[in-house]
Amino acid sequence: MQKKILEFTNILRKSGIRVSTAETLDAFAALDELSIDDRDVFRDALRATMVKRGEEVSTFDQLFELFWSGFYDHLRDAFGTAAEGLEAFGIELEDLLRQIAEQLQNMQGELGDLSELAQAMLTADLDQLEQLIRAAASQSGVDRIENFLQVGFFSRRMLEQMNYEGAGQELRDLAARLEAAGMSPEEVAALRALIDRLMEAARKSVRNFTERSLQQHNHDYMEKFRRETLLEKSFYHLTEEEIRKMREVVERLAQRIKNILSIRRRRLKRGKLDLHQTLRRNMSHGGIPFELAFKQRKKDRPKLVILCDVSSSVANVSRFMLQFVYQLQEAFTRIRSFVFVSELGEVTQLFQEGDINDSIEQALDGGGVINVYTRSNFGAAFHHFWQNFLSAIDNKTTVLVLGDARNNYNDPRAWCLRDIHEKAKNVVWLNPESPSAWGFGDSVMDRYRPYCDVSEECRNLRQLSAMIDRLVL
Amino acid sequence: MFDSVEKVETLLGEEKYICDRKIATVVFLAEKLEKPVLVEGPAGVGKTELAKVVAAATGRSLVRLQCYEGLDEAKALYEWEYSKQLLYTQILKERFVQVMAGAKTLSEAAERIGKEDSVFFSEHFIVPRPLLHAITSEEPSLLLVDEVDKSDPEFEAFLLEVLSDFQVTVPEIGTVRAVRKPLVFLTSNNAREMSDALKRRCLHLFIDYPNEALERRILEMKVPGVNEHLMRDLVGMMQRLRELDLKKIPSISETLDWARALLALNATDLDEDVVNQTLNVILKYEGDVRRVQGDLSRLLARKTGEAKAPAAAPTVVPTRTVAKKGALH
Repeated sequence: MQKKILEFTNILRKSGIRVSTAETLDAFAALDELSIDDRDVFRDALRATMVKRGEEVSTFDQLFELFWSGFYDHLRDAFGTAAEGLEAFGIELEDLLRQIAEQLQNMQGELGDLSELAQAMLTADLDQLEQLIRAAASQSGVDRIENFLQVGFFSRRMLEQMNYEGAGQELRDLAARLEAAGMSPEEVAALRALIDRLMEAARKSVRNFTERSLQQHNHDYMEKFRRETLLEKSFYHLTEEEIRKMREVVERLAQRIKNILSIRRRRLKRGKLDLHQTLRRNMSHGGIPFELAFKQRKKDRPKLVILCDVSSSVANVSRFMLQFVYQLQEAFTRIRSFVFVSELGEVTQLFQEGDINDSIEQALDGGGVINVYTRSNFGAAFHHFWQNFLSAIDNKTTVLVLGDARNNYNDPRAWCLRDIHEKAKNVVWLNPESPSAWGFGDSVMDRYRPYCDVSEECRNLRQLSAMIDRLVL
Repeated sequence: MFDSVEKVETLLGEEKYICDRKIATVVFLAEKLEKPVLVEGPAGVGKTELAKVVAAATGRSLVRLQCYEGLDEAKALYEWEYSKQLLYTQILKERFVQVMAGAKTLSEAAERIGKEDSVFFSEHFIVPRPLLHAITSEEPSLLLVDEVDKSDPEFEAFLLEVLSDFQVTVPEIGTVRAVRKPLVFLTSNNAREMSDALKRRCLHLFIDYPNEALERRILEMKVPGVNEHLMRDLVGMMQRLRELDLKKIPSISETLDWARALLALNATDLDEDVVNQTLNVILKYEGDVRRVQGDLSRLLARKTGEAKAPAAAPTVVPTRTVAKKGALH
């Protein structure tokens, strides 16, 4: 039992649930207190001691099912249907078995002469079968299985280990001997059919067992793999599904930054002694300063002005950028967001009303202020901003530009950006293209670059999150 | 106190708290293993209530510590009572003069006062806050650390000492050990992920929204007088509402409020008018209300459709005997 729980613990760990040794010991302690006959109680005890995150509960439940039961149920089903096939011959399994036993006695033999496997199959002794299969599994090292392609291989190895073919032969010989001994033809036919079905059931069960061990060991593996690759995946090639998944990843990253932020803030917050407050607070102690009060440093939160290119080529970067920024709203004093393709329009209003994700989708669609079905013109967009919104920028403002700077051979009007740069605290440019492509073809990145304090490639989530991190801390 | 999981269920039931086997098992283990329990789950599913009920069922006194941002040791553990110390100094001035009498130098005087130091930093001048209170309590107690996710990470680290050894260190006095280990419940809404260190020391209990049958049983017990027909509609509607993508999903506490509201309005049937009037009892955001109002006819239509259908067959109880056999090998 202990060994089995440890094995289960290992499987949990492989699936990304962190179970410490102390927690395993707790689980043992818990099981000492409970009767483990009740499966639900047993599961709840393991869950309470080993799983500590709400989102891991469903993984645990699935693995628990896979590991602690499932297989027995499968065996029962498989052999149940095999026996059902007898009905077609109008013969009950028990009757048939009695017949066989009688015939064998006449031949001075008994069922016990058969190999364990053949016996277990014929009498549908599921406990014995499960033990045989598990033994064969550990002998042939099924726990090393890594991918789906190996299922066939390991299943075959297990069957060999169990001497499956041999057992089949024994059973067929038995049928032949019984026939020779004068068993009725119908019964022999029924027996032969049964044997075929039993063999099939056993083979399927072994395969099922292998698949289960694969699932147990690789559960969550794919999920983790996908999450990891999402971080690295270029924004240019995303499917709808991935965009949805990515949203969750962004949310988690934003939450993490928020946590770190709160700690860092607090450390920085305490300033000089606040004499006024200290005196006031200690009046009840007769003016003797028992409790000190400190001034709180003012939080230096940046103002943010975002200029997002929402043309189809960079829409995805803009999407996650906006999601990031708005999930971290409280880290900034004020965020104004603008979208552009060749026209430029403000979409700040959108975000003040609705749900973040809806707002983003609306903004990417022009937000009702610009036409998105034109060709990118950074020059015109910057000029428009320069004319109408330059006053939005002061020396505490960080300007964040998101775009590939593919200007369709229009006039870049870099002087607009120069003026913005002069007024702003920082100009940060995130470009989804790699730096080696900057300035080639219709890219005018090289013209804008002198006026950017930071200009970086931002092609995947990892880069984006690193960038945001620098922005807020 | 509890000798089996079933006993927990019945005892909590007597306190009008209906729980499933999962909750009962964890409560049972918490008592047996003397481990704190971290209760997580969405708002309003009865996390705090569970702690209160367990306290009542076991006859423990409830000590509650409500967490919030900026909560520090002084407010959670103990505080020196400065004013009292000051007052005593004033009153005992005469005695000080006596103590210092005959001291030749300033340092000698200070030394003599120093010897009496412990008078002022003794348990006498300590105001115990919930944590210290729970630990020093002579009677069995239950410490409820409510909404622990709202506290700061520093405070969480400090909680660790208390939770692992049931002891706290007061520098001037020394380490105070628990006379009787209190049962500890921490509740969290997951506003912030708790640290692994804290989680490791706790048993974990995740309470989710109840399923239909459980919700009905709870409703029956908490709000008696709701007729069978209304109850089925009401619970069914709540279950469907939870499937919608709402900003704040209504919880069991909203179900109870709603049932009470409907009783107060003498409603015997759940029709569109009644629902419209009372929707703000279960939905707390304007957007959610509008959203549901738009869907209302559909939500209710499904309801009437179900109502016309013959009564559902009793839910099949999975046969445990078979599962049990395969459970543990």
